[in-house]
Amino acid sequence: MNTRRRFFGQSAAGLIGAALVSRVGAASLPEAPIRTTPDMAPPLQPSSGRPYSPVVTLNGWSLPWRMNSGWKEFHLVAEPVVRQIAAGMNAHLWGYNGQSPGPTIEVVEGDKVRLFVTNKLPEHTTIHWHGQRLPNGMDGVGGLTQPHIRPGKTFVYEFEAKRPGTFMYHPHADEMVQMAMGMMGFWVTHPKNPKFMPVDRDFVFLLGAFDIEPGSFTPRVNTMLDFNLFAFNTRVFPGIDPLVVRRNDRVRIRVGNLTMTNHPIHLHGHEFEVTGTDGGWTHPSSRWPEVTTDIGVGQMRAIEFIANEPGDWALHCHKSHHTMNAMGHDVPTMIGVDHRGVVEKINRLVPDYMVMGERGMADMGEMEMPLPDNTLPMMTGRGQYGAIEMGGMFTVLKVRDGLARNDYKDPGPYQHPAGTVAFEWTGQLPVAERPAPAAASKMSLKVRKPPAGHAGH
Amino acid sequence: MNLLIVLAAIFLAGCATLSPDAGFSDVEQAVTQRTGARTQWVRSEDAANSVQARLKELLLKPIGPPQAVQIALLNNPGLQARYADVGIAEADLVQASRWRGPTFSFARLRRGGETEIERSVFFDVLGLITIPLSVRGEEARFAAAKNRAASEALRVALETRRAWFNAVAARETSRYMEQVKQAAEASAELARRMAEVGNWPKLNQAREQAFYAESTVQLARARQAEASARERLARLMGLWGEDLGFQLPERLPDLPKEPRQLGPDSETQALAQRLDVEAARRDAEALARSLGLTKVSRFVSLLEFGLHRNSETGQPRQRGWEIEIGIPIFDFGTARTARAEALYMQSVSRAAEVAIQARSEVRDAYGSYRTNFDLARHYRDEVIPLRKRISEEMLLRYNGMLASVFELLADSRDQVAAVNAYIEALRDFWLAESDFQMALTGRSPGASTGTTRTAAPAAASGGH
Repeated sequence: MNTRRRFFGQSAAGLIGAALVSRVGAASLPEAPIRTTPDMAPPLQPSSGRPYSPVVTLNGWSLPWRMNSGWKEFHLVAEPVVRQIAAGMNAHLWGYNGQSPGPTIEVVEGDKVRLFVTNKLPEHTTIHWHGQRLPNGMDGVGGLTQPHIRPGKTFVYEFEAKRPGTFMYHPHADEMVQMAMGMMGFWVTHPKNPKFMPVDRDFVFLLGAFDIEPGSFTPRVNTMLDFNLFAFNTRVFPGIDPLVVRRNDRVRIRVGNLTMTNHPIHLHGHEFEVTGTDGGWTHPSSRWPEVTTDIGVGQMRAIEFIANEPGDWALHCHKSHHTMNAMGHDVPTMIGVDHRGVVEKINRLVPDYMVMGERGMADMGEMEMPLPDNTLPMMTGRGQYGAIEMGGMFTVLKVRDGLARNDYKDPGPYQHPAGTVAFEWTGQLPVAERPAPAAASKMSLKVRKPPAGHAGH
Repeated sequence: MNLLIVLAAIFLAGCATLSPDAGFSDVEQAVTQRTGARTQWVRSEDAANSVQARLKELLLKPIGPPQAVQIALLNNPGLQARYADVGIAEADLVQASRWRGPTFSFARLRRGGETEIERSVFFDVLGLITIPLSVRGEEARFAAAKNRAASEALRVALETRRAWFNAVAARETSRYMEQVKQAAEASAELARRMAEVGNWPKLNQAREQAFYAESTVQLARARQAEASARERLARLMGLWGEDLGFQLPERLPDLPKEPRQLGPDSETQALAQRLDVEAARRDAEALARSLGLTKVSRFVSLLEFGLHRNSETGQPRQRGWEIEIGIPIFDFGTARTARAEALYMQSVSRAAEVAIQARSEVRDAYGSYRTNFDLARHYRDEVIPLRKRISEEMLLRYNGMLASVFELLADSRDQVAAVNAYIEALRDFWLAESDFQMALTGRSPGASTGTTRTAAPAAASGGH
């Protein structure tokens, strides 16, 4: 293995040497910036080329470029990375330029784009530019449209960003493994005309799913559907940044789905319209209001709305398991099971055993119990009123008055105006008349009513 | 009568008397030297009382291996029966040391008016001469009896020690089986309640219930094994009645820090100390002596010496002495010599065989000792900590709702099984240690019954 790697290393040096003599030359290879933190970088304002209004990559960044004789040049490095999924958990993934997902690539309609791709993975790779109009040989399907990029080699992709819109990039070589390992990235082609469908804030993120066994670091690449981590840009709540917007901002959120199932993304407090797909902008006449849009596998959606309702609004996948972190899918339901007398017996054998799930699973969000290494609690996150009991694909749209135009700092919990928070009724409760239970539902007779307080624990 | 004085001196020198302890002190010493415990031949009420008092005192506290051995050496009735052999052999020895005594003959013969009176005193001179020799033979038999008694005491000591380890281990095992049953019971109960409120199908409940039912069987077997092991120990210690309430410690002694080494002189030590080797050697020596005797006396089958005093009527008295020697015209004793030689060579070969066996047994017992030490240490330092880590990780998984309480309980059963396997390994180590100790200092350990494996169920994990 070592010798093999060394061999590839040497041949890589050889390749760069050879490239020097050819069209681009090693000296002119654009640098490949590396990012080591999973925090959100401020939008990358264009310093060269055509002007555009940059996007904000949730817990991510956009890749700087350089102009070279009319070409916009980027350099992506495919390599193993360590991505912090949330505080307390690191995943050993494959990604680009130090992170997974890789940096967002932003170009403008009509840009001539040259992408250098260096492979520092242990196996060959390619990059497919999902949704782009480009010459067939630049489409990045290993074996079909190009030779594979062997470890240590650098390939160059060149094409014109013809169509404005929302795109992704990901490998099309051993893609099952490479996507399960986190290889993906966002691509935005801005319209040539900056006045076209302008928004104040433009967020982008990719949906990803991983199966990382509790206590381990590397995803199980063979898992097909039973994933235990559902992520926005490979971050899970509460590790995900909030979407901070100024009240009355026009907001665009672009979401791409690179998991193996669909995700109904649901926004609270506002209606939005789907203004774009990976196929392009939707006709205004075809749009209808939504509070949830289902993003199919391999699809992208751009939604837009006016953030005119101040507050902390949940934005999440509506598949409830996808708003949980790692959980045991084979754990039986313990709701309503009387543990009296059994707990003592179990405690004699397992002294640290505690009853959980007897009243539901909300205990999980409230109790802080020691977990296996590198494992996040199943439901987690705290808000100003208590445990949020969420994980995975869940974040918060924070709409506030008086933020600066480029201010994405977390403003903290929303201060609700007096009398606008649900409150406890302290008056009399009418006695509910219930019909006698039917004889057939023998089971329902045995349903245990929740005990007052924590009796029986 | 100078001759008579000489004969009397020989007679007196050969005469032995019964010793007050019947020669048992030698046995006692041999046993104490090798076991560290005292043994006693109970021959009087006083002795019986003092043994009973000592017994009561020993039974007050939990009994460890030395105490168990001590009780057995004082109280095992089979051992007492064997000790009586020593007394019998001593009596034979004393008997052999006594001279046959002179024979007196008187004859009155008449011939017409003539009366002839013939008086003679015969001394069994050869008997007198051979007394020291036959005493030596009886001494050898006496020594052999003492050796056998000591050897038997060591056998009882070894078996008692083994029985002690088996009993304590069986007790620990049955305690762990109790825990397995508890875990299974908790699972079954929880499963029943889950099915009751509609959270689980009857299939899953039945599976948990089945495991519980099986664990009940295992516990019953373990308890039976415990009772049986304890009875065996009680038998060896000669206990019955109210003494059966004797207490045993909760657990086996810990593994020693370091294993003993097989020294270069271990085999030599075994040859010097083992009773079976000593017996074989003494046997050969005794036969060597008797071979010498046979060679010396091969021509002399009978030697009698007599004094005569004959009186005949009208005749002066006749006085004189007479010696009678059987002349071996037809038997020159060659056959007897050959037989004695063959017997001697046989005993020499036997002694060699015993010595080789002893040496081999020391090596063999050490091999077993060392293997069992390494295994027990491996269980203690590797298997058990790993099992513990697995259980800890399992609990962490349970905490995260990544694993169910049933998995937690199944794992705890596995952990118990691993601990139980360690107990068995530790027990086997102590059994091997006892055998090695015996092979080195006492006798062949192979003569005792092998490891009485308790019917501990195999470390079967939760079967589902």
